[in-house]
Amino acid sequence: MSYKITEEGNISTVFLNGEIDMDVTETAKEAILPVIDSGKEVHLNLKDVSYMDSSGISVLIESHQRALEKGTKVVIKEVSKSVLKVIMMAKLEQILNLE
Amino acid sequence: MNLNESKDFLVHTSSLKEVRVFSREVFEKLNLDEDLKEELVLAIAEAAQNIVKHGYKGVEETSDRMEIKISLKDSNLEIGFFDKGKPVIPENIQHRKLDDIKPGGLGTFFIKQIMDDAVFKKDEQQWVNHLVLSKKI
Repeated sequence: MSYKITEEGNISTVFLNGEIDMDVTETAKEAILPVIDSGKEVHLNLKDVSYMDSSGISVLIESHQRALEKGTKVVIKEVSKSVLKVIMMAKLEQILNLE
Repeated sequence: MNLNESKDFLVHTSSLKEVRVFSREVFEKLNLDEDLKEELVLAIAEAAQNIVKHGYKGVEETSDRMEIKISLKDSNLEIGFFDKGKPVIPENIQHRKLDDIKPGGLGTFFIKQIMDDAVFKKDEQQWVNHLVLSKKI
Protein backbone atom coordinates (compact mmCIF):
# COMPACT_ATOMS: atom_id res chain seq x y z
CA MET A 1 0.00 0.00 0.00
CA SER A 2 1.14 3.52 -0.69
CA TYR A 3 -0.44 6.89 -0.08
CA LYS A 4 -0.19 10.58 -0.87
CA ILE A 5 -1.75 13.57 0.82
CA THR A 6 -2.88 16.76 -0.85
CA GLU A 7 -4.12 19.97 0.79
CA GLU A 8 -6.72 22.38 -0.47
CA GLY A 9 -8.02 24.99 1.93
CA ASN A 10 -9.26 23.26 5.05
CA ILE A 11 -9.54 19.90 3.33
CA SER A 12 -6.79 17.30 3.29
CA THR A 13 -7.21 14.42 0.89
CA VAL A 14 -5.48 11.13 1.60
CA PHE A 15 -5.18 9.00 -1.52
CA LEU A 16 -4.67 5.36 -0.58
CA ASN A 17 -3.39 2.93 -3.18
CA GLY A 18 -3.16 -0.86 -3.30
CA GLU A 19 -4.38 -3.54 -0.93
CA ILE A 20 -5.19 -2.76 2.70
CA ASP A 21 -4.80 -5.64 5.12
CA MET A 22 -3.49 -6.18 8.63
CA ASP A 23 0.09 -5.84 7.41
CA VAL A 24 -0.37 -2.20 6.40
CA THR A 25 -3.00 -0.88 8.80
CA GLU A 26 -0.42 0.88 10.98
CA THR A 27 0.95 2.66 7.90
CA ALA A 28 -2.57 3.67 6.88
CA LYS A 29 -3.31 4.99 10.37
CA GLU A 30 0.00 6.87 10.47
CA ALA A 31 -1.06 8.59 7.26
CA ILE A 32 -4.65 9.39 8.22
CA LEU A 33 -4.90 9.99 11.96
CA PRO A 34 -2.41 12.92 12.25
CA VAL A 35 -4.33 14.76 9.53
CA ILE A 36 -7.56 14.25 11.45
CA ASP A 37 -5.84 15.36 14.66
CA SER A 38 -4.89 18.62 12.94
CA GLY A 39 -8.61 19.41 12.86
CA LYS A 40 -8.96 19.47 9.09
CA GLU A 41 -11.75 17.82 7.16
CA VAL A 42 -10.27 14.68 5.69
CA HIS A 43 -11.23 13.12 2.41
CA LEU A 44 -10.16 9.51 2.00
CA ASN A 45 -9.91 8.72 -1.68
CA LEU A 46 -10.20 4.96 -2.18
CA LYS A 47 -10.47 4.73 -5.97
CA ASP A 48 -7.13 2.93 -6.20
CA VAL A 49 -7.70 0.57 -3.29
CA SER A 50 -8.24 -2.79 -4.92
CA TYR A 51 -8.75 -4.85 -1.77
CA MET A 52 -9.70 -4.18 1.83
CA ASP A 53 -10.30 -6.68 4.61
CA SER A 54 -11.69 -6.28 8.14
CA SER A 55 -8.44 -4.61 9.26
CA GLY A 56 -8.94 -1.91 6.64
CA ILE A 57 -12.54 -1.49 7.71
CA SER A 58 -11.26 -0.98 11.26
CA VAL A 59 -9.06 1.86 9.98
CA LEU A 60 -12.12 3.51 8.41
CA ILE A 61 -14.12 3.16 11.63
CA GLU A 62 -11.26 4.45 13.78
CA SER A 63 -10.78 7.41 11.43
CA HIS A 64 -14.50 8.20 11.48
CA GLN A 65 -14.65 8.05 15.26
CA ARG A 66 -11.45 10.07 15.74
CA ALA A 67 -12.89 12.78 13.48
CA LEU A 68 -16.06 12.94 15.56
CA GLU A 69 -13.93 13.35 18.70
CA LYS A 70 -12.01 16.18 17.05
CA GLY A 71 -15.12 17.94 15.79
CA THR A 72 -14.34 17.36 12.15
CA LYS A 73 -15.29 14.68 9.63
CA VAL A 74 -13.90 12.06 7.31
CA VAL A 75 -15.51 11.74 3.91
CA ILE A 76 -14.83 8.59 1.89
CA LYS A 77 -14.53 9.45 -1.78
CA GLU A 78 -14.58 7.40 -4.97
CA VAL A 79 -14.74 4.10 -3.19
CA SER A 80 -13.88 1.21 -5.49
CA LYS A 81 -16.48 -1.46 -6.16
CA SER A 82 -14.61 -4.15 -4.25
CA VAL A 83 -14.16 -1.97 -1.17
CA LEU A 84 -17.77 -0.79 -1.26
CA LYS A 85 -18.86 -4.40 -1.18
CA VAL A 86 -16.89 -4.99 2.03
CA ILE A 87 -18.21 -1.77 3.60
CA MET A 88 -21.74 -2.91 2.78
CA MET A 89 -21.07 -6.39 4.13
CA ALA A 90 -20.14 -4.70 7.41
CA LYS A 91 -23.35 -2.64 7.13
CA LEU A 92 -21.37 0.58 7.47
CA GLU A 93 -22.62 2.43 4.40
CA GLN A 94 -25.02 4.44 6.56
CA ILE A 95 -22.43 5.12 9.27
CA LEU A 96 -19.42 6.22 7.24
CA ASN A 97 -19.68 9.34 5.10
CA LEU A 98 -19.56 7.94 1.57
CA GLU A 99 -19.55 10.22 -1.45
CA MET B 1 -13.90 -30.15 -11.98
CA ASN B 2 -12.18 -31.53 -8.91
CA LEU B 3 -9.17 -29.85 -7.39
CA ASN B 4 -6.85 -30.22 -4.43
CA GLU B 5 -4.16 -27.63 -3.77
CA SER B 6 -2.26 -26.64 -0.66
CA LYS B 7 0.48 -24.27 0.35
CA ASP B 8 2.15 -23.32 3.59
CA PHE B 9 3.01 -19.83 4.76
CA LEU B 10 5.07 -18.26 7.52
CA VAL B 11 2.77 -17.14 10.33
CA HIS B 12 3.21 -13.40 9.87
CA THR B 13 1.15 -10.46 8.64
CA SER B 14 3.47 -10.15 5.64
CA SER B 15 2.21 -13.56 4.45
CA LEU B 16 -1.37 -12.37 4.03
CA LYS B 17 -0.69 -11.00 0.57
CA GLU B 18 0.85 -14.35 -0.45
CA VAL B 19 -2.25 -16.08 0.89
CA ARG B 20 -4.44 -13.94 -1.36
CA VAL B 21 -2.18 -14.53 -4.37
CA PHE B 22 -2.31 -18.30 -3.80
CA SER B 23 -6.09 -18.25 -3.35
CA ARG B 24 -6.66 -16.18 -6.49
CA GLU B 25 -4.42 -18.50 -8.51
CA VAL B 26 -6.38 -21.54 -7.37
CA PHE B 27 -9.76 -19.94 -8.02
CA GLU B 28 -8.62 -18.81 -11.49
CA LYS B 29 -8.49 -22.49 -12.39
CA LEU B 30 -12.13 -22.89 -11.41
CA ASN B 31 -13.44 -20.12 -13.65
CA LEU B 32 -15.45 -18.67 -10.81
CA ASP B 33 -17.50 -15.53 -11.07
CA GLU B 34 -15.24 -12.58 -10.19
CA ASP B 35 -17.41 -11.44 -7.26
CA LEU B 36 -17.56 -14.93 -5.76
CA LYS B 37 -13.83 -15.35 -6.24
CA GLU B 38 -13.07 -12.14 -4.33
CA GLU B 39 -15.51 -13.09 -1.56
CA LEU B 40 -13.77 -16.44 -1.15
CA VAL B 41 -10.36 -14.75 -1.15
CA LEU B 42 -11.60 -12.41 1.59
CA ALA B 43 -12.88 -15.33 3.69
CA ILE B 44 -9.56 -17.16 3.35
CA ALA B 45 -7.57 -14.01 4.14
CA GLU B 46 -9.69 -13.34 7.22
CA ALA B 47 -9.20 -16.89 8.50
CA ALA B 48 -5.45 -16.65 7.91
CA GLN B 49 -5.42 -13.27 9.64
CA ASN B 50 -7.18 -14.82 12.64
CA ILE B 51 -4.36 -17.35 12.95
CA VAL B 52 -1.73 -14.59 12.92
CA LYS B 53 -3.70 -12.22 15.13
CA HIS B 54 -5.30 -14.56 17.66
CA GLY B 55 -3.53 -17.91 17.39
CA TYR B 56 -0.17 -16.23 17.89
CA LYS B 57 -1.30 -13.32 20.06
CA GLY B 58 1.59 -12.09 22.18
CA VAL B 59 4.17 -13.93 20.06
CA GLU B 60 6.64 -11.39 18.72
CA GLU B 61 8.14 -13.58 16.04
CA THR B 62 7.78 -17.21 15.05
CA SER B 63 9.17 -19.56 12.44
CA ASP B 64 5.94 -21.57 12.55
CA ARG B 65 4.08 -22.09 9.34
CA MET B 66 0.39 -22.42 8.62
CA GLU B 67 -1.03 -24.51 5.81
CA ILE B 68 -4.00 -23.74 3.63
CA LYS B 69 -5.62 -26.49 1.59
CA ILE B 70 -8.26 -25.72 -1.01
CA SER B 71 -10.22 -28.63 -2.41
CA LEU B 72 -13.23 -28.94 -4.63
CA LYS B 73 -15.20 -32.11 -5.11
CA ASP B 74 -18.59 -32.25 -6.80
CA SER B 75 -19.24 -28.51 -6.29
CA ASN B 76 -18.33 -28.75 -2.60
CA LEU B 77 -15.56 -26.31 -1.86
CA GLU B 78 -13.57 -26.99 1.29
CA ILE B 79 -10.80 -24.78 2.60
CA GLY B 80 -8.68 -26.19 5.40
CA PHE B 81 -6.47 -24.13 7.69
CA PHE B 82 -3.83 -25.85 9.78
CA ASP B 83 -1.79 -24.11 12.44
CA LYS B 84 0.23 -24.71 15.59
CA GLY B 85 -0.92 -21.65 17.48
CA LYS B 86 -2.89 -21.47 20.70
CA PRO B 87 -5.70 -24.03 20.79
CA VAL B 88 -8.93 -22.45 19.61
CA ILE B 89 -12.00 -22.87 21.78
CA PRO B 90 -14.77 -22.63 19.17
CA GLU B 91 -17.39 -21.65 21.75
CA ASN B 92 -15.37 -18.52 22.55
CA ILE B 93 -15.36 -17.23 18.98
CA GLN B 94 -17.81 -14.42 18.55
CA HIS B 95 -17.97 -11.52 16.15
CA ARG B 96 -19.03 -8.17 17.54
CA LYS B 97 -22.57 -6.95 17.17
CA LEU B 98 -22.83 -4.92 13.98
CA ASP B 99 -24.60 -2.03 15.71
CA ASP B 100 -21.74 -1.76 18.21
CA ILE B 101 -19.61 0.35 15.89
CA LYS B 102 -15.96 -0.02 16.82
CA PRO B 103 -12.77 -1.18 15.16
CA GLY B 104 -12.22 -4.96 15.07
CA GLY B 105 -14.33 -8.06 15.41
CA LEU B 106 -15.54 -8.26 11.83
CA GLY B 107 -13.31 -10.97 10.35
CA THR B 108 -15.33 -13.86 11.70
CA PHE B 109 -18.53 -12.11 10.67
CA PHE B 110 -17.27 -11.84 7.09
CA ILE B 111 -16.32 -15.53 7.07
CA LYS B 112 -19.80 -16.50 8.26
CA GLN B 113 -21.43 -14.22 5.68
CA ILE B 114 -19.44 -15.71 2.82
CA MET B 115 -19.15 -19.40 3.69
CA ASP B 116 -21.85 -21.98 4.36
CA ASP B 117 -20.05 -23.51 7.31
CA ALA B 118 -16.98 -23.10 9.52
CA VAL B 119 -15.97 -26.00 11.75
CA PHE B 120 -12.92 -26.71 13.88
CA LYS B 121 -11.92 -30.36 13.61
CA LYS B 122 -9.71 -32.40 15.90
CA ASP B 123 -8.38 -34.85 13.36
CA GLU B 124 -4.84 -33.70 12.74
CA GLN B 125 -2.25 -34.88 15.25
CA GLN B 126 0.62 -32.84 13.81
CA TRP B 127 -1.31 -29.57 14.02
CA VAL B 128 -2.99 -27.77 16.92
CA ASN B 129 -5.92 -26.26 15.05
CA HIS B 130 -7.71 -27.41 11.93
CA LEU B 131 -10.43 -25.09 10.67
CA VAL B 132 -12.56 -26.16 7.72
CA LEU B 133 -14.57 -23.60 5.78
CA SER B 134 -17.03 -25.04 3.30
CA LYS B 135 -19.34 -23.73 0.62
CA LYS B 136 -21.39 -25.23 -2.16
CA ILE B 137 -20.44 -23.44 -5.37
